Amino acid sequence: MLKNYLRIAFRNLSKYKFISFINLFGLTVGLACCLLILTYILHETSYDKYNRQAGRIYRVTRSFNNDQGVVSLHLGAVAPPFGPLLKNDFPDIQQVTRLLPIGHQMPMRYEDKIFNEGDLFFADSSFPGMFDMTVLKGNPRTALADPFSMMLTPAVARKYFGDADPINKVIRMNNQFNVKVTGIFQPFPSAAHLHPEVLLSFNTLKDSAVYGEKSLQTNWGNNAFYTYLLLPEHYPARSLEAQLPAFLDRRMHPNDAPADYKASKYTRLFLQPLTAIHLHSHLDEEIEENGDAGRVTVFGAIALFILLIACINYMNLSTARSSLRAKEIGIRKVSGALRQEIIIQFLSESILLSYMALLLAVGLTWLTLPGLNSVTGLQLSIYTLLQPLVLLPLLLTPLVVGILSGLYPALFLSSFQPSKVLKGLLKVGNGNVSFRKVLVVTQFAITIVLLISTAIVFQQLHYMQNTSLGFDKEHVVTLGYNNGLDNAYESFRTALLRDPHIRQVTRSSRIPSGRLLDDKGAASTETGDSLRPVNATIKYVAVDQDFVSTYSIPIVAGRNFSRDYATDTTAFLLNVAATQALGIRHPQDIVGKNFRYGKVLGKVIGVMADINFESLHQAIVPLILILPDNKDAANAFGRISIKIAGNKDNITAALAHLEKTWKTYLPEVPFDYTFLDEKFQQLYVSEQRQGTLFTAFSGIAVFIACLGLLGLSSFSISQRIKEIGIRKVLGASTTGLVRLLSVDFLRLIILAALIAFPIAWFAMHSWLSDFAYRISIQWWVFGLAGLLAAVVALVTISLQALKAALSNPVRSLRSE
Amino acid sequence: MIDLKRISKWVNVGGKPNFILKDINLHIKEGEFVSIMGPSGSGKSSLLNIIGMLDDASEGEYFFLGNPVHTMKEKQRSLLYKQYIGFVFQAYHLIDELTVYENIETPLIYQNIKSSERQAMVADILDRFQIVGKKDLFPTQLSGGQQQLVGIARALIAKPKLLLADEPTGNLNSRQGEEIMDLFKQLNKEGVTIIQVTHSEKNAGYGSHIINLLDGRVELT
Ligand SMILES: Nc1ncnc2c1ncn2[C@@H]1O[C@H](COP(=O)(O)OP(=O)(O)OP(=O)(O)O)[C@@H](O)[C@H]1O
Ligand SMILES: [Mg+2]
Repeated sequence: MLKNYLRIAFRNLSKYKFISFINLFGLTVGLACCLLILTYILHETSYDKYNRQAGRIYRVTRSFNNDQGVVSLHLGAVAPPFGPLLKNDFPDIQQVTRLLPIGHQMPMRYEDKIFNEGDLFFADSSFPGMFDMTVLKGNPRTALADPFSMMLTPAVARKYFGDADPINKVIRMNNQFNVKVTGIFQPFPSAAHLHPEVLLSFNTLKDSAVYGEKSLQTNWGNNAFYTYLLLPEHYPARSLEAQLPAFLDRRMHPNDAPADYKASKYTRLFLQPLTAIHLHSHLDEEIEENGDAGRVTVFGAIALFILLIACINYMNLSTARSSLRAKEIGIRKVSGALRQEIIIQFLSESILLSYMALLLAVGLTWLTLPGLNSVTGLQLSIYTLLQPLVLLPLLLTPLVVGILSGLYPALFLSSFQPSKVLKGLLKVGNGNVSFRKVLVVTQFAITIVLLISTAIVFQQLHYMQNTSLGFDKEHVVTLGYNNGLDNAYESFRTALLRDPHIRQVTRSSRIPSGRLLDDKGAASTETGDSLRPVNATIKYVAVDQDFVSTYSIPIVAGRNFSRDYATDTTAFLLNVAATQALGIRHPQDIVGKNFRYGKVLGKVIGVMADINFESLHQAIVPLILILPDNKDAANAFGRISIKIAGNKDNITAALAHLEKTWKTYLPEVPFDYTFLDEKFQQLYVSEQRQGTLFTAFSGIAVFIACLGLLGLSSFSISQRIKEIGIRKVLGASTTGLVRLLSVDFLRLIILAALIAFPIAWFAMHSWLSDFAYRISIQWWVFGLAGLLAAVVALVTISLQALKAALSNPVRSLRSE
Repeated sequence: MIDLKRISKWVNVGGKPNFILKDINLHIKEGEFVSIMGPSGSGKSSLLNIIGMLDDASEGEYFFLGNPVHTMKEKQRSLLYKQYIGFVFQAYHLIDELTVYENIETPLIYQNIKSSERQAMVADILDRFQIVGKKDLFPTQLSGGQQQLVGIARALIAKPKLLLADEPTGNLNSRQGEEIMDLFKQLNKEGVTIIQVTHSEKNAGYGSHIINLLDGRVELT
């Protein structure tokens, strides 16, 4: 019996090629979208799970709050003493490992080969034991035990040593110290939350020239050490976490704190499961940019919606063809078929089609995955689908899709009465028509939501990339500051400025596009005769006298730092937001006042305008610029920024001069620069990707929905072919007929738009709330999206209607 | 075999019942060959559909081989129908996507007959109707007469006791019509009860008796 069903299914598929193509195409694309998103979801949810001990590893994070308990900062990393102290105080903790990312480019030299390396970490010797690492050479347990030893990935090793055995070779780091290669490890899988290329032994930090043993034990302020704990199987991490405030009070006592100081009042520690880092951790400091559970959900939903649109098409087109199948159904019933046998026949047709679609979808996925990879920057592989837990449901999907899309047509078609259909008296009940209308409205509502979302994502993107940040970021080149310049900086700067294209050169602890995470603690401001504590967190950036002019930051009161005033090393330059946080109405009022920031007491010399130093995701925060004195400069500065004047040619010339000067002063450090505006672009890469994917998805949705509309309009027109014929005979014009036929569908699309608008508004409102600086949602975007859907739909329908209206009325009348 | 008691059929037009069949009493014995005649619109097809269980009567009782069809559920009726009744149409009504062979085979599929047995049965009837050479053709590749032959073969394949034919020769020329009528006569001799609707006195003559319908009522003769 099934053979007979399948035979007729195939014959129908090949007989009505266009309709079959629409159905197959829609389902294929829908399923391919689902497969693509599925590989993406599988990838995103698999982060760090490759570790055998993944379920037992927790990361210690730290938050900071003020007196009122308002959290100002939550970091994924903590201070260096915490790790060993936790291990000491809680015997249940089986292992602790600390990881200190160097965070900037580090020049490494072997013989005549010098390269900058970016992904360097100091790692405890327990690191290779806690995380799964494939160690190709060396002993994983001891490779990171001795000071001044390191492990490299094969790619890094090859750069320096070629094919020679890297073990025991010595590399010079930043021209400061030598490190011996003790191991080679495979790069971490792409689904890991960190990707070290170079691991330096943590014990190296004990050397006072590098960091110092004392600092490792007492530096509570340097929260840059990612600290992981290994807990026993099924250990209640929450109860350990609950004991951490007491631990803080017991252990953490900064030197200058009063006797009754309770650390837990100002800071807290948290335990974060390793496997939750990638999708759920969005802390102020992360090793790499993490994914986002919300985004994964949104894309999953979009893929399902596209599949739903395709299923709706199948329903519509199958019922559209019902008149073609009516006779067959009548005959089968007359031949003794029961209703359920007819239902099963039609379901087997839709299921067959779904399986064909799955087959094609796998091919399509395979073809388009590289595209998705290049958009997302991931390395997704179709082979991730080849796991039993995924494969089984996957193979059942066409069954579900087939039933979902085939059930309604099957019920509808099997209800035909042979005595009626064989007489050619096929009448379709009104209930069916309204059900089909619901389907079309659903399709178009989804489509319109996607169109609106796409438009708003791009508007926000355009806004972020083009809005004025309050300073000049064009033609600024930035380089890593190197301590080799500490003593020669003024002469280096003068040498650079000798090139007329180079306008300004400055050093700073951070540069715009980065985060503002540093603060020196409490601030107090002069009120009357005394200093009153300021109840606000103020972040700082250490700069030199040329920072403000390099970035053309407007000074709204007072003056910039100047080489003419030796006392400026205790001077402060606030931003307007900081003066507001201090409760000062006119910026002028604070200029010249005493001010204490951290341990430094000095004077406010000026107020600068608010600038969007960080990405537009972040609100402008109170900021203070400080000028470190010469002996602090070595630690204070991280970047050099160089402002170049004018056009492209200038930039090329200036870069050449810059490189030449750099090599004269820092022969040991490779010349490595970035343009600041590119850094700003990178801040919005994930929005850019989202925009691209939204465009692709909504394009697909519109296309599939229109194919469906094509089917539905041909159905409705075929139902009214006699009416059209009669109207034509009675003298109706073609345009009148087209209008008559289109107006029904237009009504549906207007209804779909009315449903889509609030949904889209709500969705995009919550999407935009992630941005401190955002566009306001404009109604014309909604109108435009609705209009676009309506126009595309109308064109689709009108072509059908036109064909019907132009056809010879005599023929359609005779066929009845 | 067939017992119709006070059968009426109406449709509601603008809230008022519009009678298609009115108060029909009919008794047909096994082995009879009955022709139903009457002007267009008199309700011939409607009556045949009720006898063939393709349609319900609005009122009245219908006994088929002693079974009360009017009280049966759709499924029971289907089972009764597919065991005993074959239908032939004026417009042949073959499935265009199936070959001659597959069209004839269709009723057997719904009777859950094994594939090997089906092959034998279809081969038999193809042989009998001398259309073996046409078995792999599609309906559109046949002449009207040949199509009706296939239609009759399909109606007979499951060996029904009752053959219902609604103007079986209406679309055929007279020579083809005669062949079909001869075939019916032959089948009737073999014991198949036949009820046919026809406009032709000559064709009606092949039957054992004639029922005349007028405006939904049986005309007494
Ligand atoms: N579903 C229906 N709804 C309304 N009226 C119907 C329906 N089916 C049949 N009729 C009416 O019932 C009457 C009888 O129809 P029927 O098809 O039985 O006539 P007939 O005798 O077979 O005519 P013909 O010789 O033209 O085939 C007609 O007047 C027809 O209009
Ligand atoms: Mg009739």
